Amino acid sequence: MTGFAKDFPILEKEVYGKQLVYLDNAATTQKPNSVIDTISDFYKTDYSNIHRGVHYLSERSSERYEEARTKVSDFIGARNPDEVTFTAGTTDAINQVARSLEPSLRGNEVLVTGVEHHSNIVPWQMAGAKLRAIQMDEDCNLLLDSIDITKDTKLIAISHVSNVLGSVNDIKEITEIAKDHDVPVLVDAAQSIQHLPLDVKAIDCDFLVASGHKMYASTGVGVLYTNDRFSDLMPAKGGGGMVDKVSLEKTTYQEPPLRHEAGTPHIAGAISMGAAIDYMEKIGLGKIEKYESDVYSYARDRLLEMDNVTVYGNTDRMCGSISFNIDPVHHYDAGLIMDKMGVAVRTGHHCAQPLMESFAIEGTVRASFALYNTKEDVDRLVEGIEKVEMMYS
Amino acid sequence: MTDAIQDEIIREFDGLEWLDKYDLLITSAKKLEPMDEDSKTDENSISGCQSKVWIQSYKKDGKLSFNLDSDAMITKGIMALLLRVVNNRYPREIANIDLYFIEKTGLKSNLSPARSNGLESIIKRIKEIAENECGQSNVQ
Repeated sequence: MTGFAKDFPILEKEVYGKQLVYLDNAATTQKPNSVIDTISDFYKTDYSNIHRGVHYLSERSSERYEEARTKVSDFIGARNPDEVTFTAGTTDAINQVARSLEPSLRGNEVLVTGVEHHSNIVPWQMAGAKLRAIQMDEDCNLLLDSIDITKDTKLIAISHVSNVLGSVNDIKEITEIAKDHDVPVLVDAAQSIQHLPLDVKAIDCDFLVASGHKMYASTGVGVLYTNDRFSDLMPAKGGGGMVDKVSLEKTTYQEPPLRHEAGTPHIAGAISMGAAIDYMEKIGLGKIEKYESDVYSYARDRLLEMDNVTVYGNTDRMCGSISFNIDPVHHYDAGLIMDKMGVAVRTGHHCAQPLMESFAIEGTVRASFALYNTKEDVDRLVEGIEKVEMMYS
Repeated sequence: MTDAIQDEIIREFDGLEWLDKYDLLITSAKKLEPMDEDSKTDENSISGCQSKVWIQSYKKDGKLSFNLDSDAMITKGIMALLLRVVNNRYPREIANIDLYFIEKTGLKSNLSPARSNGLESIIKRIKEIAENECGQSNVQ
């Protein structure tokens, strides 16, 4: 175990008699001991429902839950914790925004990009909006000069980092263009929050969404940052905990963020996000970014020098994921063979079928990285690819 | 109930390492006659697989056989084994067959649920076709 991998017990595992190399981090990341221990300790010492009881445990749970909210708020640079709602994840957060904005979206348009994953496509369609993609060049750089905002454009919803290609979109430039037209911007940070320092004040977006499980925390929890310009946003879900007064005639709602958290939330999940943030901050986001960038560049260089390997997308700034195919091997076969070499990669369309269509392919092999991956892991990936090539020769 | 062809396949895979199993599957796939492109229609395709699979059936002397193809070689290799077992049998026999070789060769237990669903949906389709043929024979 080298570097940060020693903090992640699952990475000691052997699969099929080989040391595991986990390169499916865009799907979900493994958990460090400190996060696992926090979840376990919380259930052992402080667990109860929150914001309801007057008893000791309820107070403790509520405190720890709100502490986690403050950690998330500070981590993404929000003005105050009231701008941070805990959701079930990125997909849930986008669905909540879509539901809340539905009256203005229905029959109108949401501007997206051609690299979006299905979670940033389907909820807008379900809210009755038409989608239009910002054009990109053949290397998948967004052509920001071509952005055409019309009177029908009610929202720009854009991923910060592509879950397939790893390309980083210039969201600051997009929010500036959007401001000129008074159109709100939602940033999908599912693939960036674990790799790059984020500051919603500097980005100046209206919404930002992310998942806990992709940033070393639990599954089933995520965040929705809502700029205070949208503090009167109608809640997407109704129920207990989000109300001010209820009568059979009329209900009034709490102020944000509680109005957006109907029912009992994933309390331990939220607390695990706080622990994951503590873990990342102890290392330092700047250091994480630098370290990951070294490993990522090494991986790209090694894959680009392989004759039968096609790497998709090539933008100035990339992180997290690399997608490729090995000629003439089907991505599924490649994934199966690499799995038996102990290398866990993802294969398929990665829930981004419009992007696959633009490359005229069915799918790719995706290697995606986290802070515990090393250059040795990349060497094992390359060995895996070489084995695949050999079995097909 | 034992089956000579399935037992033969189990013997071929016995004691092989995973990569050798895949090697054998890829070799079997290469030997399988490819389906002509015109037959690779949506109607002939099976969903639930990470790779694409197409299936066609034909009957000769009351016995049923299948053509299968896939864009992934390992999937196609498993199909080739399946065809060795089910082809040229009476529909009733195919409808009732216990495909125990999938478990015994380790090809099932080591496939994740999503992947084995792919294999399961292929087997389900084969049995549906056979059942359908049985029904038609009864009417005749």
